Amino acid sequence: MDFRINRGFDIALAGKPVTDITDVAPSATVAVFPLEFEGIRQRLMVSEGDEVRQGAILIEDKTNEAFKLRAPAGGQITSIVRGARRFVEEIIIAVDTNAEAERFQSFSAEALQSLDRKTILDQLTTTGYLSLIRQRPFSRMANPNTRPKSIFVNAMNTGPFQVDAETAVGDDPSAFQAGLDLLTRLTEGDVHLCIGETAADTLNQAQRVTLHRFSGPHPAGNTSIHIDRVSPMKPTDTVWTIKAADLVGIGRLFLDGALPPHRIVSLGGPSVKPEARRHYRIRTGGDLATLLDSALNEGEHRVINGDVLSGTRIERKFHLHFHQSAITGIPADRERYFMGWTMPGLQQMSFTRTFASTWLPGKRDWDLGTNMHGEVRALVLTGHYDKVMPLNIMVDFLIRAVMAGDTDEAIALGILETDPEDFALCDVICPSKVEVQDIIRQGLQMIEEEGI
Amino acid sequence: MKFILKLHDSIRHHFKRGGKFEHVGPIFDAADAFTFTPLEETHLGAHVRDAVDIKRVMVTVIYALMPCFLFGVWNAGHHYNLAHAVANASFIQDMIRGLIIVMPIVFVSYAVGGFWEVLFACVRKHPINEGLLVSGFLFPLVLPPTIPLWQVAVGVSFGIVIGKEIFGGTGMNIVNPALLCRAFIFFAYAKSMTGNVWIASAGDVVADAVTGATPLGVLSSLTDGQTAADAIAGGQVNFMRMFIGIEPGSIGETSTLACLIGAAMLLASGIASWRIMTACVLGLVSSAALANAFGASPMAQTPAHYHLVAGGFAFGTVFMATDPVSAAATNAGKWIYGFLIGVLVIIVRILNAGYPEGVMLAILFMNLMAPLIDSFVVDHHIRRRRKRA
Repeated sequence: MDFRINRGFDIALAGKPVTDITDVAPSATVAVFPLEFEGIRQRLMVSEGDEVRQGAILIEDKTNEAFKLRAPAGGQITSIVRGARRFVEEIIIAVDTNAEAERFQSFSAEALQSLDRKTILDQLTTTGYLSLIRQRPFSRMANPNTRPKSIFVNAMNTGPFQVDAETAVGDDPSAFQAGLDLLTRLTEGDVHLCIGETAADTLNQAQRVTLHRFSGPHPAGNTSIHIDRVSPMKPTDTVWTIKAADLVGIGRLFLDGALPPHRIVSLGGPSVKPEARRHYRIRTGGDLATLLDSALNEGEHRVINGDVLSGTRIERKFHLHFHQSAITGIPADRERYFMGWTMPGLQQMSFTRTFASTWLPGKRDWDLGTNMHGEVRALVLTGHYDKVMPLNIMVDFLIRAVMAGDTDEAIALGILETDPEDFALCDVICPSKVEVQDIIRQGLQMIEEEGI
Repeated sequence: MKFILKLHDSIRHHFKRGGKFEHVGPIFDAADAFTFTPLEETHLGAHVRDAVDIKRVMVTVIYALMPCFLFGVWNAGHHYNLAHAVANASFIQDMIRGLIIVMPIVFVSYAVGGFWEVLFACVRKHPINEGLLVSGFLFPLVLPPTIPLWQVAVGVSFGIVIGKEIFGGTGMNIVNPALLCRAFIFFAYAKSMTGNVWIASAGDVVADAVTGATPLGVLSSLTDGQTAADAIAGGQVNFMRMFIGIEPGSIGETSTLACLIGAAMLLASGIASWRIMTACVLGLVSSAALANAFGASPMAQTPAHYHLVAGGFAFGTVFMATDPVSAAATNAGKWIYGFLIGVLVIIVRILNAGYPEGVMLAILFMNLMAPLIDSFVVDHHIRRRRKRA
């Protein structure tokens, strides 16, 4: 089916990565960030100085001992960084290319199509790759004990900038199809593959799934929108979701019986040199420092794990995260504009038409930085947010309910159908500079703790 | 301009907590943010943000008010000169006279309103809110040019303190502060707002040729047997004159044309709600048509398009009803809210013999109803969601 999304807003951020893939020289170190895997209780299985094989167990979940975090490459553990409450924040391994790899079960492409659910989930759990499959509501790691109503595969992206699904899938189409075949074994319902209207053949020819085409401005590529249009969730439903680029990794894991050695990552944004704005094949958990040193412009920048809308800032840990498939660099913008409240504003990006730049013809790309462009003011219920919200959600009233701690009202208003990323544009366009995503995140957390 | 920035940076610490002048910190912050956009970086949520902020929004509203203001200045001067039989007063003479009449009112409104805003900001330690820029400018424009300045001061004090600050400042208020200021004067000093107050004059030298009555005043006080049609045919009320706004009335409200220019600016910049404006017009036109069909009084017989250009309807619709803080927030709510404003305007105009203008009360009343309307709309939304599930 084709779906056209009308509400939304495309931020024309400068620095879109081209779809070419460049190989990055394998880095000398790899890292694992256990805090990425939220909800697990760490039991550290190694200590500094240990020699480990690729796929060796580093950390095991105390509450579900089948769930392990494994070494993305073999070598010697050089440091284990602990943070608040002694949680392990980072495990760094000096890579030894001669080290042997741990083997897992491997299957032929045909055998995958009839694999039983338990075998698949066991292998996903013991490798930690289960964490690539997310579960709604609450966007947590899929719980292997639930049976999802359906599974949504997101093979498009409309925000600035995520890894290009076509590029990642096109790099290894057979692994992608293998991943899809595995998903069909995990649900009694459908596997929905959501693609953009101009998607390439590799996506269009996907087998044994239901194809849906989405078009329109961001957030047309968000999974919540896909779920809402294709098969809306009831409060008691569970739906699993996964990104196409991540599914390639899962497919590879089952075809090869070994942890995928690398993944495709996009690098873009105004701070990235034009020739470096592209896709890269990077060692899983690999060091990014060398790449970023040569790719970033002069000056001070913010490096973001993910996109500018919902990504998280990386301060110093320049290793690839397990869930990371995009890196964005934007300039640290502390410019103070003289009389910004009245100057015509030829260099200002705005969803409103209050700046001269918004009246100029032609499309242009914006070198947006970290400037807030204003101070926090009282939240006023105006309906302004609804202009960028294609879901049937009254954003103002939802965030008011969350702020008031009224979880019943928030659920009634549909918070369980959403993910904080769906509210990223509300953050962007709010003249009062209200942190809408953060409010929604708190609301979901509150409900998860209290129970529905 | 860098030297101003350097100066600010060099004295900033005095105004921070623990500094010598921390009590007046909000004043420094406001001045600082006035000259340069505030220094703040994103730290949560989206990493890049829209360039628009509340200051920019408020200032855009001020610009949209400029046509009404400038026309109002000219109109006040023009009618003064007519009343004093200044023969063939030039445009410049009218403007200068108008400025002499209007500027003190604007000045008092901003000065006294600003005083309260700053006082509350300093005492309650919140930033000085930009809302005053608009409220302090809207208020003079809905006053008659003859208003005593002390009443302006009292009115704006009441509106800002009781209407806004005690609720927590801009964004927390329930009704439109500028309209509340006016309502206060309307009820407390009724003599200043009724009768022959619409033309500024010195003493009682008003020339005979000028009645000083607003079109609505004319329509509501026609002698027995005279109908609205007679008044129109006789030229006592004239559509084009009312549309352009060369009529006695509150300073900024007489010209529908100027209001339309302002509305175009607000809608084009994406700031005001077209739903509210459209709904107000629909409400007024439909209820006026209903009144035309069944009513008997001259006011009820006045055609809808005269109602559109009469009194403060255009001004109220464009600038007052659309105030996002006090208006309804849901899309359906905006239609209901606006429509009922239009209906109430007609009801007050037709049924209220004492005072023929209903826009102020209609909007204030619907301000109070807006949360209720939104609550119904949200309930309906929740019920529909449940059905879908």
